[in-house]
Amino acid sequence: MKSILKLIRRFAGILLVSFILIMILNIIAVVKIASDQATGRSPWTTAVETAENLQKTENGYTLSEDMALELRKEEIWAVYIDDDTHKVVWHTENLPDDIPLEYSISEIAFLTRGYVKDYPTFTGGAEDGLVVLGYPKDRYWKEMYPSWDYYFIKNLPRTIFIVLVCNIALIFFIYMVTNMGILKTVKPIAEGIQALPMGDRVHVKEKGLLSELASKINRTSEILQSQKHQLKKKDTARANWIAGVSHDIRTPLSMVMGYASQLEQNCRLTEGERNKVAVILKQSEKMKKLISDLNLASKLEYNMQPVKTSRENVVALVRQVVVDFINMDIENRYSIEWVTEDTVTGCIANVDRELLKRAVCNLIQNCMNHNKNGCTIYVTVKKEKGECAICVEDDGVGVSDEQIEQLNHTPHYMVCDENTTTQRHGLGLLIVRQIMDSHGGETVIGHSVHGGFCVEMLLPSETVSNDFC
Amino acid sequence: MMENEYLKRKKILLVDDEEELLDMVASILKEDGFVNIKTAGNVSEALAIADEFEPELAVLDVMLPDGDGFSLMQQLKGRRDYPVLFLTARGEDEDKFKGFGLGADDYVVKPFLPKELLFRIMAILRRSYKEENPLVRLKGSKIDFLRAEIVKDGEHITLTAKEYALLSALYRNAGRIVTIDALCEAAWGDNPYGYENSLMAHIRRIREKIEENPSKPVSLITVKGLGYKLIVEEK
Repeated sequence: MKSILKLIRRFAGILLVSFILIMILNIIAVVKIASDQATGRSPWTTAVETAENLQKTENGYTLSEDMALELRKEEIWAVYIDDDTHKVVWHTENLPDDIPLEYSISEIAFLTRGYVKDYPTFTGGAEDGLVVLGYPKDRYWKEMYPSWDYYFIKNLPRTIFIVLVCNIALIFFIYMVTNMGILKTVKPIAEGIQALPMGDRVHVKEKGLLSELASKINRTSEILQSQKHQLKKKDTARANWIAGVSHDIRTPLSMVMGYASQLEQNCRLTEGERNKVAVILKQSEKMKKLISDLNLASKLEYNMQPVKTSRENVVALVRQVVVDFINMDIENRYSIEWVTEDTVTGCIANVDRELLKRAVCNLIQNCMNHNKNGCTIYVTVKKEKGECAICVEDDGVGVSDEQIEQLNHTPHYMVCDENTTTQRHGLGLLIVRQIMDSHGGETVIGHSVHGGFCVEMLLPSETVSNDFC
Repeated sequence: MMENEYLKRKKILLVDDEEELLDMVASILKEDGFVNIKTAGNVSEALAIADEFEPELAVLDVMLPDGDGFSLMQQLKGRRDYPVLFLTARGEDEDKFKGFGLGADDYVVKPFLPKELLFRIMAILRRSYKEENPLVRLKGSKIDFLRAEIVKDGEHITLTAKEYALLSALYRNAGRIVTIDALCEAAWGDNPYGYENSLMAHIRRIREKIEENPSKPVSLITVKGLGYKLIVEEK
């Protein structure tokens, strides 16, 4: 809706600027036309000048040559009315025939304001009489009764101002009324478009000016919904399929592992046979882990694994996982060193207990899987600014820079959207990364200072410093 | 451990719809020395056997042909209370939480290692039937959990409530490391933060009671940074 308000503001601005510009242009035009009109001499002035140039002679009256020429050029006729007799005592040669040669006072008053026989007339006072100039009929239009109320003239500036303001208000009113109608139609469309990226179902009423647009939005929403549904269906089906297969494989695998485990301890078998059974057992355990990893990885990938976070002390959680490993490692081939500083007793973060334990488990297991001949595993929890850093590293065989590059940047076959024929690596690290992603954390893979492989998990933590048991 | 011999005589009821799996679990248990084992393939059979057999531990599958293991557990526990362990292919956390929520004592997801199942069964039995537990023998002394005291050189030394709680937690995991956090939780409950120094003080006092030479402990061992381990002598 912000953009619509912006739109209204912009339109209102444009309207205002246009209005002011038009006003200015109009004023300029009026002034220009008026000044063009005023370029010639005023007929009143000409009349006064004619009166001044009319000289009394012995034979009557004579007009100066220049003046007479000018009048002729302009096709103006002139008469001179005597004050005493009200008779025409002098006139130009071009005086039309129908012009009277004697005037009453009321006729003189009339011709001063207006016309003589439709000729617009202008007067100029002379010594003993009145000079009247008659212009061609189509030269001037005369306002005969020009009288204005005094207060009208006095209040004219205010009146003009009020009229202008009223005009502007009226234009705005008309604009708003018409625009409100458009806005009313545009609003649901705009809301619909804004709701589309949210992935919600959108329905805009298909009527009014923009019904075609509304119908297009509705169709787009339907297509998006259907695609979303299809995708979800596909993902659910895939995750369910993996869950189903892994469920069904558990019981048979239990039996393989159970009997193999019994056979392994059967002293009547030869050593060779027992070794074979040990391999069966070991591979079964790998399958067990794979089933569980595959299930979790697919659920995390398709957002079907609920992440139930609670406030946990990450140090205590990681310590428990480390102790579980030490307690389980009967052969003592892998020693796990807890190298967390004594001062770091607590690092509080909102995490899913089980998932985080699983991530640490996977990393420790990873060290063991890749160092068949044993290694020392170092586990550290560091409290950094706003972060809990859990680092699991070893002094084992390690990996090359290329492999680290590949681990950091090549997608796992489970989440790769291209055809893939090579299995790049196990699911352990993928799950760690997925778990960190679901916690808003980060996974950093690199070389260990102890010579082997190092994975660091960075979890956002509470910044309040606490000392815990 | 020989001292757990009496636990091997406990009556165990196994319920699973896979006959072959039942046979296998029974054989694993028998091979480990358990003698009283009965199996059932469905809910009704399990209920019928339970009435007569009066099991002291039930190992149940969740999915059974005529019902589910969760309601079977409630029916079994409704008649007589004894520990129940789920052994199932349903490995979802939701299922686990449901099982524990309804009162299960443990939850093992298939596929499982026989050794793990045996450890868990023994742990449940030890927890549930500890009244028959004789004195726990340590290198320099014995723990009498019934009386909450230590017997050292014929002398009876009383344990405080915290010391008892700590020793119980350590004994339940005898031979294994128990984390500092788990011990704090055992002694101070749900909000066990900030008791590290208190824990060290209590451990020192326990050592004074159980060790011959408290400054060189042999029964209650520190695992630096991680926790403590109780070493129990075999008979």
